[in-house]
Amino acid sequence: MLSLKNVTVKYGAYAAVHEVNIKVEQGQIVVLLGANGAGKSTTFRAISGLSKPASGEILFEEKSISGISPDKIVQSGIVQCAEDRKLFPQMTVQENLVMGAYVQRKNKKKMKQTMDEVFELFPILYEKRNDQAGSMSGGQQQMLAIGRSLMSKPKLMLLDEPSIGLAPLIVEQMFESIQLINKEGTTILLAEQNANAALNIADKGYVYENGKIVVQGSSKELFSNEEVRKAYIGA
Amino acid sequence: MEILIQQLFNGLTIGSIYSLVALGLTLVYGILHIPNFAHGAIYMIGGYITLTMMTYVGVNYWISIAVSIIVVGVLSVLMERLVFHPLRNTIIINNKIAAIGILLFLEALAQLIWGADFRQMSSPYNQVLNLFGVTFTVQRLLIIVAAIVVMVLLYLFLKKTFIGRTIIAMSQNREGAFLVGINANKVAMLTFFVAGALAAIAASLTSPINLVFPGMGHLVILKAFVIIIIGGMGSIPGAILGGYLLGFTESIGATYISGDYKDIIAFILLIIILTIKPNGIFAKGEH
Repeated sequence: MLSLKNVTVKYGAYAAVHEVNIKVEQGQIVVLLGANGAGKSTTFRAISGLSKPASGEILFEEKSISGISPDKIVQSGIVQCAEDRKLFPQMTVQENLVMGAYVQRKNKKKMKQTMDEVFELFPILYEKRNDQAGSMSGGQQQMLAIGRSLMSKPKLMLLDEPSIGLAPLIVEQMFESIQLINKEGTTILLAEQNANAALNIADKGYVYENGKIVVQGSSKELFSNEEVRKAYIGA
Repeated sequence: MEILIQQLFNGLTIGSIYSLVALGLTLVYGILHIPNFAHGAIYMIGGYITLTMMTYVGVNYWISIAVSIIVVGVLSVLMERLVFHPLRNTIIINNKIAAIGILLFLEALAQLIWGADFRQMSSPYNQVLNLFGVTFTVQRLLIIVAAIVVMVLLYLFLKKTFIGRTIIAMSQNREGAFLVGINANKVAMLTFFVAGALAAIAASLTSPINLVFPGMGHLVILKAFVIIIIGGMGSIPGAILGGYLLGFTESIGATYISGDYKDIIAFILLIIILTIKPNGIFAKGEH
């Protein structure tokens, strides 16, 4: 469904991501593991069109999407739920969700239906639908960010560190929700530092270090990989 | 007391104009973070187009304003396409220099086309009214009412229409707007059109009580900058409130302090408010 071929992304002369190869098949949950600044978010920025790859190619459903504008990428069915959420803080929860449906705006009925699905997945968003997004707690904002991404009816969702800064109990719920979203038919590419939780729900994973992929394999393989255990799982 | 009411009325008139100009400036700043110094020149062109339509083409005041809105709106969009868009990935100082360049270019162009003379625009609404001891021309009343109508329409457009809300979304979180699939180019062009239209309306409304000349935008744009700094860069309520605040302060200051110091009041107000609230009254938390 999505494949990155030798993708390099540079900030100035510095290669934040270096010759990365990733493959995501339809229906999978794929996880990118690695420390802060290892290149996971930069990879996502390149896929979403926010940063242009210096070289390499990104293919989505057999078509090249390298270097095309972010709005066209959303239209093609890839949505990113960014690490810092990028909500519209002075809009209400509901207004944020409506904006999320920007590419679906012509179809009001479908939009309403998708919003009901989001409210079903995160009932707290329904309760707070008239609150300003900026006034909510971190966990609720994360749910809103995921909900807003779902509003575009994506085929592939890029989820950047959904567990960051959240209480353990909320993290657990978050991963359950991600699994549910995947079961409903959305393919998921997940970037996480919480390797344990992420590998539990993922089909396969890639481990980043200094902008390069150093280890890759099925979740099972990564779980049993000595280095990965030491560095990211801590056992 | 009568003097005070009269001055409040005058403040409301001038404040209406300031608010309209500042709104355009703050909208553009909100989405592109460009301080558009050329906005005053756009305002000036708006005055000239209306004047030309009335005197040379000979159509009525309202049709002239409508033409001015469209011409200036399109001019504003062209400015975005031809100048700011190609500069979008460079450092911000380039945009500022370019904005000043457009300002100088448009002023020279206006002088070439219309000459440097001060021109008067005759308003069909010169009747003098006297209500509750306040004397005013219908044109002044028209300015106040029209400004309010325009602001209400703008509010509805930004708040209730999908396309209008994209402007708000982009001003609240630029990359967030990209990630929901909003087309940045469309929003930029739309915003510049709206800003141009607002400037054209403001200039067309105020020209009958002031004069039309190539430098007519100078003080207005400087004050509009004061207003959006006071109101918080990019804030819409801030621009409206700041505009009226400045209008009132000026007209009251002119009466009770001295008319000679009228134009300095804006900048004194700026210093005082920034001393107390360095980010402006309605400053947004993040950008």
